Amino acid sequence: MLDYCSISHKSGILLWSRSFAPTSHAAGSVTSPVSSLVREALVEGRTADNSFEKNGLAFKWTFVNDLELIFVVAWQRILQLTYVEDLLNALKTVFLKLFEPFLTAFVASLHAASSVSGQASSTWNFATAFENWDSVFDKILRGFEEKATQDRRSRAKPAIRPAAEPSPPSDDSSTIPSQSNAVAVDEQQIARNVEALRNRLRGRGGRTGRRGPARGDTSSGRDSGPPSDSDTPAKRKSKAKAQRKWGDEAPSESEMASLDFSYETVEAHNKGAPDLAALVDEGSLGTRTQDGLYEVKDWEFTSGTDDVIAQMLKNDTRSTPASSSGSLGALGSLFARLTGSKVLTESDLKPVLEGMKQHLMKKNVAKEIAEKVCEGVGESLIGKKVGGFQTTNAAVRSALSNSLTRILTPKTSTDLLLSIRTKMSSPLPSTQQRLPYSITFVGVNGVGKSTNLSKVCFWLIQNNLRVLIAACDTFRSGAVEQLRVHVRNLSMLGVNGATNSKGRVELYERGYGKDAAGIAKEAIAYARDNDFDVVLIDTAGRMQDNEPLMRALAKLVAVNNPDKIIFVGEALVGNEAVDQLTKFDRALRDFSASSGGKERGIDGMLVTKWDTVDDKVGAALSMTYVTGQPIIFVGCGQTYTDLRQLRVANVVQAILSD
Amino acid sequence: MGSKLDAEIMSPVSAFTPQMLVVASLAAAIIIMIALVLLTRRNSAARGDVILLVGLPDAGKTAIMTTLTYKQTLPTHTSMQANSVVVPLGDKSCRVIDIPGHPRIRDQFREYIPSARGIVFVVDSSTVSRNGPAAAEHLHQVMHAITSLPPSKATPSLLILAHKCDLLKSTAQATPAQLAINRARTILERELEKRRASQTSGVGIEGLGAEGSEIDLGGLECTGTGEFRFADWEGGEVAFAGTSVAVGQAASVSDYADDKAVESDGLSSLCQWLEDQL
Repeated sequence: MLDYCSISHKSGILLWSRSFAPTSHAAGSVTSPVSSLVREALVEGRTADNSFEKNGLAFKWTFVNDLELIFVVAWQRILQLTYVEDLLNALKTVFLKLFEPFLTAFVASLHAASSVSGQASSTWNFATAFENWDSVFDKILRGFEEKATQDRRSRAKPAIRPAAEPSPPSDDSSTIPSQSNAVAVDEQQIARNVEALRNRLRGRGGRTGRRGPARGDTSSGRDSGPPSDSDTPAKRKSKAKAQRKWGDEAPSESEMASLDFSYETVEAHNKGAPDLAALVDEGSLGTRTQDGLYEVKDWEFTSGTDDVIAQMLKNDTRSTPASSSGSLGALGSLFARLTGSKVLTESDLKPVLEGMKQHLMKKNVAKEIAEKVCEGVGESLIGKKVGGFQTTNAAVRSALSNSLTRILTPKTSTDLLLSIRTKMSSPLPSTQQRLPYSITFVGVNGVGKSTNLSKVCFWLIQNNLRVLIAACDTFRSGAVEQLRVHVRNLSMLGVNGATNSKGRVELYERGYGKDAAGIAKEAIAYARDNDFDVVLIDTAGRMQDNEPLMRALAKLVAVNNPDKIIFVGEALVGNEAVDQLTKFDRALRDFSASSGGKERGIDGMLVTKWDTVDDKVGAALSMTYVTGQPIIFVGCGQTYTDLRQLRVANVVQAILSD
Repeated sequence: MGSKLDAEIMSPVSAFTPQMLVVASLAAAIIIMIALVLLTRRNSAARGDVILLVGLPDAGKTAIMTTLTYKQTLPTHTSMQANSVVVPLGDKSCRVIDIPGHPRIRDQFREYIPSARGIVFVVDSSTVSRNGPAAAEHLHQVMHAITSLPPSKATPSLLILAHKCDLLKSTAQATPAQLAINRARTILERELEKRRASQTSGVGIEGLGAEGSEIDLGGLECTGTGEFRFADWEGGEVAFAGTSVAVGQAASVSDYADDKAVESDGLSSLCQWLEDQL
């Protein structure tokens, strides 16, 4: 069922791992499943939803923060494994109990503060240290898998669960009679109704066609009587008599009466029988679930005759409430803090994290993102020890600062100039002409795509590059004219002492109403033939929900395969940022993949109107969190020089400032 | 206070005996010597005492660290946090800090640079041709950090370690280690030259916010006029070494000694360099 399971330290050292699939990846190799998990989820701070999928594998993990351990379980995504969470918890508890001294020493050796070699000389034997863990793990896993199959089997039974659930097994005798009574009453009523209907039909039949003889002599004789509604009970009686006559004579009457009753009760019992079975089954399940999570395992393990593990799990449940109640006293916690052994708990963190979340939202971070970031911070802090006089607040603050820095730090190079130069200087086969470096600007309406495109253009010209602007906004009136004015202005500005930069920048336009993808393609061909270095493609603004327009944008991307796709977004955006970016990214990926090309998403962001938000710079965080891509530029004014690079430290400071 | 003490000492003239003078001068000499020793200790501390392991993810930093520390190569995955271990080297020991290579968290190395004695930049020589630009970007940051240290600090020495050289096939002319070193050196020099050219000729974009902290990375200046060469780098000497470790083979106890021999062979050049640094 499972594919892979591992226990490792945050340093990257794998303490123990096991893969179950035959074609699984060797641990420690580049394709190690945990590596991709760490790279793409844990380091990026995307731990909030607590699940991760990659290459058809689903992952779940849990941290032990004081010993810095990670427990990871991976399985085929199509399988629905319900016990993974419990399994992780059980593994964590048992593993810590078994190897705590060794682990403490091991973690301490990874945090050597000075070069004084305390126990560095002692030999480490990782192979023998976890020798018996394999068998323990097998037992735990088997317990959970057995329980899962049991659950599935009991679910497959056609039992009426909700009805039986609240009644404990001892009440069987009281519930069943009442049920059978109800059933009996119902049957009587049904019988009466059927009778009435039949009578009415017969009456009609008697009136119209007289098809009596088909039903036998006796009945036809009775039917010939006057059909009136008032004597229905009499008729029923007579009908019953007729039935008796249909069988035997005198003895049949009493027998039928008794037989009727017995038949009913038997039926009730028959109906009750699956109920009973379900009740018994359900009862045992009920006690299991009622007594709590750990008791379930307890029961499992005692049935599996593994007392040691069960004992450990039991001890754990007992010790947790005790420790939490012990740390309640204010004086006690003060002393604990003084001695440097205060352990952060969920209840400590909750109010602080809530405050932090509010603070982030005040700084214009999207609500969803603020929640996720705070959740991630909380997860990394639970169980950590706070030393000295450091308050919970301060600990959360520093952790949040770290997390923000990590989210905002680009993971790919943001040096646009370098990548342009690299492309220009890369070796080419002699038959091929060098394609220019193309950058596409996309975004919703009115965020400043054309304006910031001209700023980027100015910067590129200053770096002695020849730039062609492709006017692919063929929709909004005045879009082409706007770019023409920019080109005129830019060509009059001097570069490096020259009075103007004629010939360094040109506009490629084909008017309005044409296909944008085609214009872009022609522009790139024109730039290639006329020796331009960079093509900046301006696209029409579009709302992220407008599917035809998004499809057209994806076509432009797929046809021209630009080197960079830059999403232009304004810093004023709040919760909308998440929606915009996810949908643009998704649409680009889906449509470009479906049209046969390679999947392309957004490569970077340009945040405009930065000067209007003061220190409410949360949009930057929302945007980088959603895409994981860097903010390449920030637009912060009206002139061509008002283009800046983002400094992570400044943004973090602005977000955290009060 | 001083004058009062002086007065007390001066007033009993009988105290000015020759023995007293000798004792006083001896005491003064001892004090000066202790002060000198302390000062030199402080000087060596200014150079720092830690060795940093930096490089791209999957280059093998943590594997090297475990091999040095625990004398066995443990299986590893991408690190999430920096590790600080004490490595015994002969009769001495040094502190080695392994910095994760993930781009989002590798900037941690800046905190440790002021206290660094040496920096080991680990390159995976089997993938360096593919990861060249990324490796050069990281190395550029490291070199920039080294050159921008204040002049009062001694610059840490830099070692470029062509790791995983066991994955290369040896030729008639060169051993795998030499091959790996050559490959790493040529590719890194080429990529760094690109970065240097782009830096010197380009007009950068200002950073947002406070002035002062420069956004463009320098630190690639060479004494020669031409292209970037590690030999001509102004930031100091750059050493090269080729190493390899065998993951997982040192797992069992029975062939522990055997594996130890193998490891010391694989990492011997690194150990040699580390010992030179002490």
